[in-house]
Amino acid sequence: MDHKDNQSPQGETARILIEFLEVAITSIVFLKGVYPSGAFERRRYMNLVVQRARHPQLRDYIHSAVFGLLPFIQKGMVERAAVIFFNTDGIPVERFVFKLAVNLSYGSKVEEADLEFSLRSFLIKLSVSESLTKVLPCDYRWEITAYFRSLPEASANKDVKQWIPTDARQWEQPPLLTPIKSMSSEPLCVQLYIEHPSLSEPKPQNGEV
Amino acid sequence: MSMESTRSDKSAKRSFNNNRNSASSNSNSNPSNKKKKTSQKTLGVAWGSNSRSSSRSSFSNSPFSNFGSYMVEKNRKLQNQFEAEASTSSHGGSGSVKPIFDGVSIFVDGFTVPSSQELRGYMLKHGGRFENYFSRRRVTHIICSNLPDSKIKNLRSFSRGLPVVKPAWILESVAVNKLLSWVPFQLDQLANNQPKLSSFFTLKRSSVSNSASTHAPCQVNPEAEDSSLKVGTSGDTYFSEVSEPFEHRKQISRESDDLVNENSNASLVEETAGSSGKPCEVAMGIPSNIDAEDESSVKNDLQSSHYQPTALVSSNCINNQNMKGSPSSMVSEPSNQSHSTLGDPNFVENYFKNSRLHFIGTWRNRYRKRFHSLSNGFNCTSSNIKASPLKTAIMHVDMDCFFVSVVIRNHPELLDKPVAVCHSDNTKGTAEISSANYPARDYGIKAGMFVRNAKALCPHLVIFPYNFEAYEEVADQFYNVLHKHGNKVQAVSCDEAFLDVTDSEGDPQLLASKIRKEIFETTRCTASVGIAGNMLMARLATRTAKPDGQCYIPPERVDDYLSQLPIKALPGIGHVLEEKLKKQNVWTCGQLRMISKDSLQKDFGLKTGEMLWNYSRGVDNRLVGLIQESKSVGAEVNWGVRFKDLKDAQNFLSNLCKEVSLRLQGCGVEGRTFTLKIKKRRKDAEEPIKYMGHGDCENLSHSTTVPVATDDVEVLQRITKQLFGSFHLDVKEIRGVGLQVSRLESTENSKQGLERNSLKSWLASASARTEELCKNSHVAKESSNRGCEGEGDETLGQLCGNSVGLSIQMDSNTSNGAACLNEVSVLPPLCHLDMGVLKSLPPELFSELNEIYGGKLVDLIAKNKGKTENINHTLSAYSHEKIEGAMKEGQAARLSSMVFQNEIPVENKAEQHIAKEVLAVSGAESFVPASGLKKTDLIPSSLSQVDTSVLQQLPEELKVDILEHLPAHRMQVFSPNVLLDPTEIPLEALGTKTAENNSGSKDFVLDNNLWVGIPPQWVDKFKVSNCLILNILAEMYYKSGSTGNLSPILQRISSVSLHQLDAFQDGWDEAMYILCELLKQYIKLKIELDIEEIYVCFRLLRRFAMKSELFIQVYNIVSPYLQALVGENYGGNLHMSLKD
Repeated sequence: MDHKDNQSPQGETARILIEFLEVAITSIVFLKGVYPSGAFERRRYMNLVVQRARHPQLRDYIHSAVFGLLPFIQKGMVERAAVIFFNTDGIPVERFVFKLAVNLSYGSKVEEADLEFSLRSFLIKLSVSESLTKVLPCDYRWEITAYFRSLPEASANKDVKQWIPTDARQWEQPPLLTPIKSMSSEPLCVQLYIEHPSLSEPKPQNGEV
Repeated sequence: MSMESTRSDKSAKRSFNNNRNSASSNSNSNPSNKKKKTSQKTLGVAWGSNSRSSSRSSFSNSPFSNFGSYMVEKNRKLQNQFEAEASTSSHGGSGSVKPIFDGVSIFVDGFTVPSSQELRGYMLKHGGRFENYFSRRRVTHIICSNLPDSKIKNLRSFSRGLPVVKPAWILESVAVNKLLSWVPFQLDQLANNQPKLSSFFTLKRSSVSNSASTHAPCQVNPEAEDSSLKVGTSGDTYFSEVSEPFEHRKQISRESDDLVNENSNASLVEETAGSSGKPCEVAMGIPSNIDAEDESSVKNDLQSSHYQPTALVSSNCINNQNMKGSPSSMVSEPSNQSHSTLGDPNFVENYFKNSRLHFIGTWRNRYRKRFHSLSNGFNCTSSNIKASPLKTAIMHVDMDCFFVSVVIRNHPELLDKPVAVCHSDNTKGTAEISSANYPARDYGIKAGMFVRNAKALCPHLVIFPYNFEAYEEVADQFYNVLHKHGNKVQAVSCDEAFLDVTDSEGDPQLLASKIRKEIFETTRCTASVGIAGNMLMARLATRTAKPDGQCYIPPERVDDYLSQLPIKALPGIGHVLEEKLKKQNVWTCGQLRMISKDSLQKDFGLKTGEMLWNYSRGVDNRLVGLIQESKSVGAEVNWGVRFKDLKDAQNFLSNLCKEVSLRLQGCGVEGRTFTLKIKKRRKDAEEPIKYMGHGDCENLSHSTTVPVATDDVEVLQRITKQLFGSFHLDVKEIRGVGLQVSRLESTENSKQGLERNSLKSWLASASARTEELCKNSHVAKESSNRGCEGEGDETLGQLCGNSVGLSIQMDSNTSNGAACLNEVSVLPPLCHLDMGVLKSLPPELFSELNEIYGGKLVDLIAKNKGKTENINHTLSAYSHEKIEGAMKEGQAARLSSMVFQNEIPVENKAEQHIAKEVLAVSGAESFVPASGLKKTDLIPSSLSQVDTSVLQQLPEELKVDILEHLPAHRMQVFSPNVLLDPTEIPLEALGTKTAENNSGSKDFVLDNNLWVGIPPQWVDKFKVSNCLILNILAEMYYKSGSTGNLSPILQRISSVSLHQLDAFQDGWDEAMYILCELLKQYIKLKIELDIEEIYVCFRLLRRFAMKSELFIQVYNIVSPYLQALVGENYGGNLHMSLKD
């Protein structure tokens, strides 16, 4: 318990958030059925049953991607983190967006239990949100993308280098949002919503199944 | 593996007589039957191999031939894992002592707090077992927090007769380090539905002695032939090991008899426990190496008797008291040296008896108990302070050299002689002077000086010892005087207090001299008074006033006064801060003012910086009456600590624990974190100059946190012992010991189903409270009768909160009645009665009350049945608002203060009302507004009967309250057009008020902060609107729990039929306009952080729009606005699907 006391509230918040994101992203991947369900195993997190990837590469991808965000989240630089599902042309089909706001001026100690309570509700809601999502086309890929408020300074840090600038293709029309869950607490605000292409969006050639 | 196989052999043997199962296990090996069996087995996956576990014998090494054998293998592996972990993580240092959960095997069902993994950890650590799959044979307790209905209805098949217990059982057991009886921790759902269940279990256990039972002796060895026999033997071993006088043995033998009785006859338990409690506990106090098993067995049975919610609790209480007293005499050691821990067996006790710091430190608790109601009363009405910030007058009253003047008040001849107070009069002594009077101060004598130095300065200095009784007496007299003159008193210390005299008539200076005169007359000690606009300046003024004087600093003189004031004089600036500031060349407040706030905050931190900046300008925003809650409770002894051997130290520690436990109980708190602080002599340190002082020391500390807060002395002693052990110190080097308890929880909150404590404290507090009430009633009467009422209401509130024992309810009820009698000397009028309490009264009591009221109660209940829910909602909301109001500078406060000037009686009523509601939210509903307005059932059927001039004079909350009730009342009876009439009155009234108060335009639709405040402004507006839908919205605000979120309100509305609302055409446009405004402002408020909430609201609105014309229009107007804002913030549009 002692190590927490030495950390700044933001460090503590970021640590909790990162852990949560790793679980939540795995849950999304599981929810979308990207991989057969055998690729996941049941684990317990925040006293909830969640899924964890069994394949080391998948697990590492999610883990390293999210933990690479830690220093940026701590500084409040990350605005959104998204799990993007896109078709073979690289056009997104569905995006799960976590909008993050870490309170940088929050000074007192972060109570993990308080955050946990709110964050848990995300995982609960996620597990029943399948009806809100779209059926994905048969051939698709996914990735984790983070949106920064400003360009990160060049850093020697290895973790940081894992994050490369990207120019993911966007929709031409503003997407449709379906909020899933929001929490706002003093140290941290998180919102999760799904983005779908708007109805007037030109259909991708591959078509949906 | 070999061990395992023998285990499975055994189990096979044990279940051998279970023919059906062993048959199935045999047939499992037969492949022809396999399919059928498997399909059958999958039915009980979660319950695993429960009834089929006998099949394990034949498959331990073969590949799984079916699900059953798989489960057997899995269970075996899990057990192996668990055992491996248990062997590594089990309790260090417990040695031969049996772990708490020996013989307990739990199965955790569903979601629990703490999680099943944590529970598993506890079991690992304390020698219990944890089963991943249910098995009737292996599991002894089922742990769960909640059960679905189906399982409750079919409890027998779910639990197989095993106890279903809340996880708190494990936590509490860990906390007290012994296995508690599970009975009080039984799942609430079960306890409620089947109150007889526990007795059923007990009976069952005694008849079938080798079934799985929960009392420790039985668990230790489930195969024991007879549990009563077991207890008998344990009593015997106990016997032989304890070498105490014959008397004790006798008691113990009786004790074991009683235990046998208990096992054979459940109904006897209650009686015997009451009588056996005392001797047993006394025996426990003896530090001998009793076998842990015996100890726990005896204790457990005792414990279970504590938990029986019967009338016998009172006798238990007495036993507990006895227990407290006796051990101390046994622990004591013969003395060979006085004044240190070496010599004095009651050192800790004596130390604190003679400690001035201890007196000051614990004084506050006494004060709180004495003046509790009064200080609460004014706390709630402190909204008035804010009402006119310019004219506040704060008084700081401080007794002049309190500790000396109290002692010499009986020695008038010493009045102008130098006198000091010190615990020792040895002229060569190194005792420190704690207080000196002014003549002595002239000689340069100061507090903290050694007596020998003081004597050197002034050879004829007279030294007196402390006289704590006198201090207490004078302090109480002092506060009596203060409370007489103002109800806003904040106690700082036993001899120092702040008064807010803003509301008092007359010149504060005259009042001050009156108070000083009265203090002198009653206590024969002088006091000084400082008066100013805030607490800081009042305190500084006292500095000037001293001794025996008074000083008033008017606002215009504040700057002058401060500019030359040395910074040290400011409260909050100590040595360190002073040094830092002096380094920056700041000596006076004037110089301090030249530093900018930013740089102050940069150098000294946010809070300190701001404080410095404010204080140097004479700014102090603290309100009189804000008392800080203490964060930790503890006791520390740094004088006279010398230990010869470990035993000395242990004795000392256990006494220290007793002291701390008493303090915790005194403060009504329990703590979770325990810190033991040790002062250890430095290697090269000499014997200190100060006699028996601690000298040069290293400060060491260790702390630990337990899962459940406690104030129990035994737990404290155990924890402290552990902590002390972790220091690995030579006890001869110890010069000081302190025990501090933090992470405090108030005792009332932390009781989760702990009948023992709540009952005990209940009984204790009930009697104390009645006394207190009587004591307070005349004090309260003198100042105002609000205090008395507050006290009464508090009892009432608690009554609702913890309706535990019937007899107790009766008790405090009568005391409450007595309080009322004191005040008005008649029964409370019918309308004063609280419905909630009435309804929860036991039938006998109710009928008795009903008789007293001549049968009117029944009618009242019937009448109120429909309304109470609504009213309770609104009232609790209001009290909430009022608390907020007290802190914020609100219009409400301003209004009420204005009314106060105009019509004092009305205001008084209102204040009472406020005080009551805050004190007893549940016990609300007892106010009677002034002339003409009665309670709900008596409320005039139309507002036209109400005297508008009275209405206008009422404070806003009250007025709105009345208006809220009126339409609801009439709606069923009257046609809507009557509605138009009354609503104009309040609007007009509001208009005039606000205009007078200059608080900005209150035009119906124009302002931009509909969501500001609690409740949000729109609620009040809508309530008085003449449009039905708006009224409903406001009403739903309260019904939905006043969360401040719109979605719960809308959700409630969806249950209302919306067609009818459209039929109501009046004010359509206006309603639409303000609804849109409301929504827009809400969107603006929430868009950034809570899009989910907005989404929910708009989906509901869409649903409304399908039924209501009004909502179609509203929706159409607002949704483009919404989408634009969403686009701005999220770069997309909200997906309003057409599916629903």
